[in-house]
Amino acid sequence: MSDGLAELLHDAAVLYGFVDFLEEYCREQERSQTYVDASGLFFRYVKDLAAGIKEELGREISRATRFPARLPVLQRNILTLKYYLQLLHEHIKPAADAHTLTIPAPLIDLASQQLRRVEGMSASKIVILLTPEFMYFQRPHTYVKEQARLVQAIIPQAAFPAKLGFIALPYSQGPSFFTNLAIYHEIGHFVYEELSKSDPPYRGVAALRSVTNRSLRRVFRDRQVVAFVSKIVESWTQEIFCDLFAIRLVGPAFSFALVEILGMLGFLSTKDLTKFNLTHPASALRFAEHVSLLEEDSWLKAIEQFEPEQKKLLERLAKIPRAKYRFYVDDQALGPQSLVSTFLASVVPAIRKLVREITTEPTRAVKRFEQDRQSIEDCLRVGVVPHTKTSRPPDPVSIINAAFCFYLTSLPKVIGQFEEPEAKNDLRIHSLWAKRLEMWTMKAIEDSQVQDRFRKLKGTALWSFLEKKS
Amino acid sequence: MSPMDLQDRAQYLSLALFSQKVVSALMEYVDEDKNDKLRPSLNEALASLRSTQTKRALPRSQRGALAFTSYEHLRTLDEVWSSKDRANAIRMMQAILRAPRSRKTKPVANNLIDLFSKLQDQALWNFEQPKPVSQKVMQRLCQMA
Repeated sequence: MSDGLAELLHDAAVLYGFVDFLEEYCREQERSQTYVDASGLFFRYVKDLAAGIKEELGREISRATRFPARLPVLQRNILTLKYYLQLLHEHIKPAADAHTLTIPAPLIDLASQQLRRVEGMSASKIVILLTPEFMYFQRPHTYVKEQARLVQAIIPQAAFPAKLGFIALPYSQGPSFFTNLAIYHEIGHFVYEELSKSDPPYRGVAALRSVTNRSLRRVFRDRQVVAFVSKIVESWTQEIFCDLFAIRLVGPAFSFALVEILGMLGFLSTKDLTKFNLTHPASALRFAEHVSLLEEDSWLKAIEQFEPEQKKLLERLAKIPRAKYRFYVDDQALGPQSLVSTFLASVVPAIRKLVREITTEPTRAVKRFEQDRQSIEDCLRVGVVPHTKTSRPPDPVSIINAAFCFYLTSLPKVIGQFEEPEAKNDLRIHSLWAKRLEMWTMKAIEDSQVQDRFRKLKGTALWSFLEKKS
Repeated sequence: MSPMDLQDRAQYLSLALFSQKVVSALMEYVDEDKNDKLRPSLNEALASLRSTQTKRALPRSQRGALAFTSYEHLRTLDEVWSSKDRANAIRMMQAILRAPRSRKTKPVANNLIDLFSKLQDQALWNFEQPKPVSQKVMQRLCQMA
């Protein structure tokens, strides 16, 4: 056997062992855990891919023995597949860790249902990942999908599930509720990517892209520079889009959650507020856009009686003049301000338009919040899961917003009511009550969804059967 | 928030996989005289390469093709292929598509395998060692500040 062939055989055997492990690992996870939404579809893809790669490796060895001159090409092919598996590998363990005991399952269920009601997203599904990074993010699934499409040309039986998105939560935040509202922003990334890559491209996204390209080409000429600034503006666009998208789905609770998270990450320091960087627009702009949308959608009026610090901060940031925004290409060097002014003048209005096009008007959600808020608060104040006295369950968006406002403004009163006076400044007690509040909120959402599904059965054969039984 | 480095690296890997797809189809054609994957792979490659030369979007029939529009694709392409190589690649692909049965096209296909292998190599290298944005591009950008 030639040295080259022996080397190829070795590489192929290593890769075989790797995919064999991944296949068995996915099988074992499905046997031992319960998952929400689409994790099972993803594990099935990995198993099909693993089986297909094993067969392909056999074919490569056979080719190498027949055409030894192709050895370098075949080695390169094995390396390319190995790198693809490396990328998938980064998704598999976090997906396996995100079973129903480690994530806020009712929130994920609700978000998945809301997602499927967005225009163009009816068949979409989410895989939740638990990441060791202290950051929420949406794994750029379209790249994985693009690679999966290319890999399918080589491994035909490995078809990547359509409209599958990956949302990563920091593992430490897994079971909590309020900070996990950040997933709505990440779902926004998923929606944006899906609509961008659909065939034909979604008309609103195509219009936004064309506005962006036109305005950038007016300012920049060089091909590589245009490609680079397009990438920067694309990142800024997605951040603003995702924030506004999240607010349309879940209301001001998202803004409060984002303030909490950015505060925790240290992104709200005064010097950074007006700074655009290569990946993110200035936080001041993001929050100005939040306030403007919340006002237009009547959410601000609906929560005017609440004055938490988070709301005051939002309103303060929104008032920072846009002339103060600066673009830095790194910690020190200023980039062209024309990029920021082009973005503000041409791209931001197009983003607002796109968000309005694909999401439903929140008029009904705001009205339900105004109607249900008091009864939800009354329940939380006496330590019970929010519910209504009528057969109509409270709307999940009302529960989320009422509970978040209650958490930000009334938690000390509840502690004062139930605990001894010395517990007033006890952090352990505060943390415990915050957790309880989150659990009641999640239970209320779960109940509301179950009741809602039950109501939809009315008039069906199953309904009559249940009625007879009861 | 999105992990940019992963996204950037993934772009290089897409390019490597794309090259592998073309090389595999060409190898089957040259070594085993099979050409069922040849036409779709070369058509996709042609559409993708042409997209670097025009501002127009890919034609509807080639919407699934990998458009070389990302910074990472353009950079890798520029690193490994001169504009002459690019024109040569297009010419070679056209020649193979015109007369796949001709014996003269097999050596042409072999040359094309070499070209796409170089592209795959460079894309894999960039995936392993992702480099920051080129100084030239950054300088031009800062000069405009």
